[in-house]
Amino acid sequence: MSEVLEPKTKLQSMLRPVNNFHLESSETCLEILSAILEEKREDDVVILSKGHSAPAFYVILHGMGLLSDEELYSFADIDGLPSHVIRGLPFIEVSSGSLGQGLSVGNGIAMAKRIDGEKGYVYVILGDGELDEGQVWEAAMTASHHGLDRVIAIVDRNYFQLTGGTEEILSKEPLADKWRAFGWEVIEVPNRREELRKALETARGIRGRPKVIIARWEV
Amino acid sequence: MIESFREAFGRALVELGKENPNIVVLDADVKSSTKTAYFERAFPERFIQVGISEQDIVSTAAGLAVAGKIPVVSAFAAFLMRAWEQIRNTIARDNLNVKLVPTHSGFSDHMDGSSHQCLEDIALMRVLPNMTVVVPADAPSVPVLLRQVIELEGPVYMRLGRDHAPRVYERPGLELGKASVLRKGSDVLLVATGVMVSVALEAARKLEERGISAGVIDMHTIKPLDEETLLRLASRVELVITLEEHSIYGGLGGAVAEVLSEKMPKRLIRIGTTKFGRSSRDYFALLERYGLTAENVVRRIGEVLV
Repeated sequence: MSEVLEPKTKLQSMLRPVNNFHLESSETCLEILSAILEEKREDDVVILSKGHSAPAFYVILHGMGLLSDEELYSFADIDGLPSHVIRGLPFIEVSSGSLGQGLSVGNGIAMAKRIDGEKGYVYVILGDGELDEGQVWEAAMTASHHGLDRVIAIVDRNYFQLTGGTEEILSKEPLADKWRAFGWEVIEVPNRREELRKALETARGIRGRPKVIIARWEV
Repeated sequence: MIESFREAFGRALVELGKENPNIVVLDADVKSSTKTAYFERAFPERFIQVGISEQDIVSTAAGLAVAGKIPVVSAFAAFLMRAWEQIRNTIARDNLNVKLVPTHSGFSDHMDGSSHQCLEDIALMRVLPNMTVVVPADAPSVPVLLRQVIELEGPVYMRLGRDHAPRVYERPGLELGKASVLRKGSDVLLVATGVMVSVALEAARKLEERGISAGVIDMHTIKPLDEETLLRLASRVELVITLEEHSIYGGLGGAVAEVLSEKMPKRLIRIGTTKFGRSSRDYFALLERYGLTAENVVRRIGEVLV
């Protein structure tokens, strides 16, 4: 079984008892989370703004040996793993679940690091549906205005949101142009771990402005 | 003596900034109105401008708190409320150390009218778990309470008016969470907050002329409410009156009603608003229109105590 298939199978079996809770948005987030957690260093911060992908996050944690089988299968049970990530879980600095707030939080962390002269990157994982929220674009302006080059956003560009395709519900294209117009450096890659890892490395090398990686889902 | 809430805030923030290098101030393009411009001048490296975006400012502050700073967010109260859900889901839920200190609450932004006047914020903040809610009565109270707000670990909403701050205290020895007893009385108890504390004191003097003995407490901390002081003083009177520059639903009046009805059923009159505001060239004309005057308090009490 390939490295990719294994977490996917785990995800499916974990979500079967809960009516496939956000299964698709979790599936498309697996490689993104896995690439970021592999790249993450001690002083880096990860914000899972699309909190709906919590199941994928748990599967990755399980793969890293940070969650047991029993914990994994307690997903969304009353005393089990919360359905959207909350502060206190490994790597989780802020609770999410409400869309559109993670990029602002990431900016705040990057600003505090800058004031303290600390290094470290802030990785913010956004859904493409989440980009409907106006606050994301408020935060995009804040990050570029303040030249927050330690902020790296990753958009899970899977082309669907809750009730349909992203281009039917509220079109996002031309997505790369939008980010560029807001003063961001844009890197577009297929949603595959190795490509994502390379993109993260490239992003870290670009100074002076925030960076966004658009991770395209290819069926 | 009439002073200004926002002036007192702007100056107090600079003093606290000198002592505590962790304080970071965030602005949504209203620094000249909220007086955080003084902080910007003193500590430009700890002043963050995010533009006219209240949702972004609240969540950015959350990030600063996660990273160990003490962020102070100042904006107009009415517009900070558009970020209520951000305050709920990102600040209160994680119990983050963010200080929300809006100005222009109540009717104090009299010229701008109903869109800018904030008469619901105490209620909205009071329902949030982890959130402390503070309303200083006058300008000298502002630095005293702000210092304690900064020292307290956790989210705080400290509500300020704009300019009209009649002096209540000479040297306020206020303690967060502890009501300040300004006057003892045996017939009625006036429980007031914010600028209405001065109105309550004036009403108490008028009542005294009519032979009615009125106690007055400054309930500067609305959450957690000092139930002990409230119940102790309420037990001695037959009528309790709450006064606030806010809706009577869910604010100080609501909080006092909850405690009294559960622990010491007592006749209560809530004085505040039930409507949206309106534009006025004169702040006092608004207080008059909405019944927030000493004369109206005396009249309402007279209707009950016959």
